Amino acid sequence: MTIADLWDQRISAFLLSPSQFLATTTTESFLAELLHELRNDKANDHLKILLVSVLLEHPTILCPSASVGEETALELLSVFSHTPQKSIVLKCNVMLAITNVIICTSCLATHTKTAEDWLDLLFQTIQDTNDYRCGLSQQPIRATACDCLREMETCSPGLLSQKLEALYLLKQQETTVLHQSYCLLYTLGLKNAIRILTNQKDVTDLEFKSILGGNEGFAWKSNQLELTSLPINMLVQVPRLTQGLDCKELKSIMSSLLEESYLLTPISQSALLRELVEVVAMVPGLSPTLFKSQLLRLFGTADVSLMHATLFMKDTFTDSLFTAEDENFLLKRLVGTAQHPLLRIPEKLFYMECILHFPENRPISSSGEESLPVLVTPRLAASLHPTVFNDSATMLCRLNLLCLVHLEADEGEADKGIGFLFNHILALLKIVDNDGSREVVVTSFRALFIFLMHFNDMEELSEKLIDKLCDMYSRHSRLAPNLIGLADHIQEHLDDPVWSVKLLRELQKCIMEMPPLQLTIHNLSWHLKVLKRVAKEGQITQRNTIYLLLNVLINSNLCERGNWQVGNAVLAVCRNLLEHPSIDQLFIELADLLQYISIQYDDTDIKDHARFYYTLLTNLSWEKLTGVLAKELDGGRAKERSHSAIMAESEGIVSNLTVHKTNRHVLQLIKVQEKATQSSSESVEATGEVRNCLEVYQGQFQTPGFGSEVTLRYNLTHAKETDLLFDKVFTICLHFELKDSNYAKVSDIHVPCVFRDGKPPEVKVKLKPFQPYPTSLCVSAMFTTQDGRSWHSRLPDVSVSFPEIFLPLPLPPNSSCECKEQVFEHIWEATASGNPDKSAISLFCFKPEDESLADLIKTHFQGYLITDQQSERSWKVLFFLPPKCHILLKITQAEDAARVSIATDNWELLPFVNSYLQNITDNCSSTVTDG
Amino acid sequence: MSIRALWVVSHEKGKSGKVRFSRRFPTVEFRAKSLAGTQYVAIPEDRVIPQLLLTELGLVDADKPYVEVRDDCARQHRSPAVELRLDGPGGRTLWPVLTVTQGVLILACLPLVEAPPEPRPPLPSLASVSKGLALLLGLQDFLCGPGGKPEPDVLASRLAALPSVLLQVCPLGRPLDTPPPAGSVPAAVAPSPGGAQKQPAWKAGVHRGRAVVSVALTEKVRSMQYGKSSQQDIWDVYGMVMCKCEVEGVLPNVIVTLTLPHNGSPLQDILVHPCVTSLDASLLTACSVDENDSSAFSGPYKFPFSPPLELFRLCSYTSQVPVPPILGSFKLKAEENHLKVNVILKLHESVKNSFEYCDAHIPFFNQNLMGSVEVKVSSGQLEVSKEKNLLVWVLGQKFPKSREATLEGTVHFSGTVAGPTDPLCTGLTAYIKLYFRVPDLTLSGCCVDQHSVQVYSSAKPRIVTTRELVSSEYYIWNSTGDAPVSSGLTVL
Repeated sequence: MTIADLWDQRISAFLLSPSQFLATTTTESFLAELLHELRNDKANDHLKILLVSVLLEHPTILCPSASVGEETALELLSVFSHTPQKSIVLKCNVMLAITNVIICTSCLATHTKTAEDWLDLLFQTIQDTNDYRCGLSQQPIRATACDCLREMETCSPGLLSQKLEALYLLKQQETTVLHQSYCLLYTLGLKNAIRILTNQKDVTDLEFKSILGGNEGFAWKSNQLELTSLPINMLVQVPRLTQGLDCKELKSIMSSLLEESYLLTPISQSALLRELVEVVAMVPGLSPTLFKSQLLRLFGTADVSLMHATLFMKDTFTDSLFTAEDENFLLKRLVGTAQHPLLRIPEKLFYMECILHFPENRPISSSGEESLPVLVTPRLAASLHPTVFNDSATMLCRLNLLCLVHLEADEGEADKGIGFLFNHILALLKIVDNDGSREVVVTSFRALFIFLMHFNDMEELSEKLIDKLCDMYSRHSRLAPNLIGLADHIQEHLDDPVWSVKLLRELQKCIMEMPPLQLTIHNLSWHLKVLKRVAKEGQITQRNTIYLLLNVLINSNLCERGNWQVGNAVLAVCRNLLEHPSIDQLFIELADLLQYISIQYDDTDIKDHARFYYTLLTNLSWEKLTGVLAKELDGGRAKERSHSAIMAESEGIVSNLTVHKTNRHVLQLIKVQEKATQSSSESVEATGEVRNCLEVYQGQFQTPGFGSEVTLRYNLTHAKETDLLFDKVFTICLHFELKDSNYAKVSDIHVPCVFRDGKPPEVKVKLKPFQPYPTSLCVSAMFTTQDGRSWHSRLPDVSVSFPEIFLPLPLPPNSSCECKEQVFEHIWEATASGNPDKSAISLFCFKPEDESLADLIKTHFQGYLITDQQSERSWKVLFFLPPKCHILLKITQAEDAARVSIATDNWELLPFVNSYLQNITDNCSSTVTDG
Repeated sequence: MSIRALWVVSHEKGKSGKVRFSRRFPTVEFRAKSLAGTQYVAIPEDRVIPQLLLTELGLVDADKPYVEVRDDCARQHRSPAVELRLDGPGGRTLWPVLTVTQGVLILACLPLVEAPPEPRPPLPSLASVSKGLALLLGLQDFLCGPGGKPEPDVLASRLAALPSVLLQVCPLGRPLDTPPPAGSVPAAVAPSPGGAQKQPAWKAGVHRGRAVVSVALTEKVRSMQYGKSSQQDIWDVYGMVMCKCEVEGVLPNVIVTLTLPHNGSPLQDILVHPCVTSLDASLLTACSVDENDSSAFSGPYKFPFSPPLELFRLCSYTSQVPVPPILGSFKLKAEENHLKVNVILKLHESVKNSFEYCDAHIPFFNQNLMGSVEVKVSSGQLEVSKEKNLLVWVLGQKFPKSREATLEGTVHFSGTVAGPTDPLCTGLTAYIKLYFRVPDLTLSGCCVDQHSVQVYSSAKPRIVTTRELVSSEYYIWNSTGDAPVSSGLTVL
């Protein structure tokens, strides 16, 4: 695999999931690698563009602070200046990356030197129109510079407000395709400058003129606009300049911009138009009629963004630009385009949204809600009637629109229209009835929902629908979840639950009347779902449900079969019945049913449950009973541990909650400070078997699981602030979730009890790395409090640092020093000669203070020392990292610095080694004082 | 007027979705954060995007009959924008994610909401939405090309070219242009000569070489014929004028004029390409949603424009024509295990009897596979596809002199294997679908005269004009069975 392929893979992995990628390395080292490779002269442009893309897309991840951002921007700037002229695409990408880094790390907002330099460079670039020197190939650089400046002006509005004259001249001079870039940049600057001026009281003619003639520096501090300033269609009150200013010059600029707008691409034209509309709206001296000459061209356009800009104009200027005739015409065009056979579905859906929110000259209501313009009549909208041939989004969109139309229409016309829509719904249901696909079923129920939301008060129709739905249900019981969903949502969205109750009552009836043959195991589970939902309705009598259940259980072999799922579904119905307000009248029947299940059903769990419900029913008053059952319901979305609850309903809300959840940290894990491991030099001196050491060492790895685990010791204690309730907790189960895939799953740990004032129990967490990288674990605990309730709580995350994974060289106890040294030397030679493939050597130097080196070694490397020749000022250290990685250090003290030669059989560990060494040597002096 | 991120996701049947391309725009994200304040919702990592997107589009868990997050009836999928639920129902949502689906590809982008996030602003009030939409549709053309189904390796190479395309059309999240449609390589282009004339941004250079202007007019005719007094037959025509102008000059002027025959019905719903420089108000007045007004302007329709280098759609229109080109009658009668079929097709006298092809497809759904087929045709040949339960009547290039062709006979469904199914066509609900193309004809009578094309350019160009009529969704329903309503216009 080439270096480029390797980078390709790494960058794809990073872009797919930065968090997972960064679990295997650090941001600093990744950023450093990227920048390093970018400076590599041998890397080709293609690779470099790929590298830049990371900074282009995720600058804030790689540059977490403004200072890192600034450093990175500087680095990129030097890459930019060292990139040869001919690498145009790379240069453009680097320019975008610098702009992204500067804006996103707030270098621009805080006005850093780098931002200032970059801005100057960009401005010089756009002024350097002498492209001919290098041919036209340099044009993209200027275009990109314009884009970068435009983005900076957007993110820091007003930045260019004192440069308008220069920008205007540049725009005028430019005759190449770049004209568009200059034009957009100038217009944005102009708009922002005027917007800033509207904040000022009593603007004089001179001040107003000076904007257009500005040719000074960047306006870093002059009353800039908030970045969050909204476009004017979002404002209740449009900011306006003072009346009576001399607008002659501005007017001619506006006219020339409009005249040349035709030279822009449609998307850019629409952007330009929007900026100009905002300018006209803010300057009382400019009349909206300025746009009149463009209107016809815009009315006829096939381009969605231009049409949208026209509507924006309509919204802003209403009758000061659009006559009633224009308005009517525009709306008709919209209806025409909303169903134009040559436009694509998303466009047509968008135009339909535009009809629903059409900016009328005289709106009746100005709320953001969908309300039909008064001009949309049933006749106008007739062509938008939904049909079964429409795709589902178009059909639903049309249905919704037409429901609104007919809701508003005059009586005679409305009846006809509603009749049509109703027939359409029936046509959809017919397709469902003919075994339509899942998609058709879902779309039809969505259509039903829309129709009912508008016309549920038309009793005749809504009752016909109920008949139709029940009729269908009798043939297709798989529609149960759709029907339940429909009933739920109609009930939820309309204040009046009548329709849902009627539907459910009819469904209950429909199930009662089914011939016993249809109550097969498969269908029964759907019916039970429906009955369970029906049982929630206080207005529906439940006697029949109970009879049916009893009947089915007695007259079939269900009880003998003892299917747990079926039993549980029956119990789920019973559970809702227990809460039913008319329970008093059903008492005996329900008791019979529960007793029958508890005796006859051939499943112990179901029997127990039934007996439990029976006991509840026969011993508690209804008020208490509902209290008990309701109490189980609240408590949010904790992880349910009761199996019956989980199985009864795999999705949705489950009634029985046995585990409470607390969002506070109740417990925490505190790392046990290890006492320095016994110094290895104390091991017995044994000579003789030296030669075999290496074989012994390597042989050990034949044993499965050898040296694959790191054991970390923690004390399980209470977190600082907790409730008295949690002072004594029992039967704690600690559960660990890994944040990355570098470690094997950690098994749960059980602890009998933790008392706040007692000795904290020690917990040993066994980690089995696939890759020995630092990691962090999410820990949660399930435990019981003294009152018998179970709880679930998160613990603070446990982070495992790099040195925590270090193990001493795993040799049998009592191995001699020589033996260790032999192994050390062997591994060193092997890695130094590049065996295995991933081996690498490296060097780290630092300057220790006086005696601190020895202390440093004592504090950090004691347990890992192979040789300790303090007199010669040289040490050998070996870290073993499971599953089978080695980091070898040879430390020598030269005159002025300490050298740490590093060898490892896994080069991917080097960044961690580096930051580890950096870390411990930074604290060198403090170690001295401690020691 | 920017987008925060862009994705191209593919989903093969039965597999989970895969991000094929993605692009985030951090400076736009930076703005999104400060605009939304505490209500800001960050974009999740790419690895979770496909699942979120496919859930909203109803494309996950194809094997499960009902999944609440996917099938909930109160979630209305009737907008070009969906919301992604990041933490399941009730949690944070990412809105508005615009989507365009083509085949196995889903293109999606997230426009910046330059408005207070709550209450949710209407889609048309957001400037970025139409730009995002235009960008996505442009990307669709770029990736899929005119055929719509690129080969995997072609698609892969186009995806690989996306970063450099985006560098031009959307470098910092602000769409500047749409990507060039796939396969559109303009012929000999020379750099702009410079000088006083400003070069349009939509034209990379100027044409060099022989001057040729080609104007192709294509009309498509749709029809739903029921053969019943209770259900009115409908048909309509829509047309488009495609142009390719290889003319010298920075901004050469070209005028294309469409003319209608005397008393032809006016062209409606005219939409024009943005390069059209000016439009007469009378051109736009006719609209299909209005009642027909015979006094309306009926041409000539002049379109002055300055052409881009590539092939483009100059304008499109719809038209109401008095008669359908082929009037059909389709009668089915069910007898025991066979169906009696009777079809009559009549070619209208105004239509030139010279087809490139003309086929009638007669599919039978929800039946067992065909056994013996005893069917005679008065003209053309009959092809029987037993495994598809389909009769294809190839009428060929010409109708007989009488301009009428018939098909008659019985089809037995003696097999035991079930044939293709369709939830719409049950019982006697059945249709014939016609496929035909007639060169050098338009139904509306609209034409572009070669001599009416005016080009203001130094060299006199060669001018090529063509026209054709093509069928599109041309159905004839069995008159003895129920047929679905296909338009609201006939009801009101």
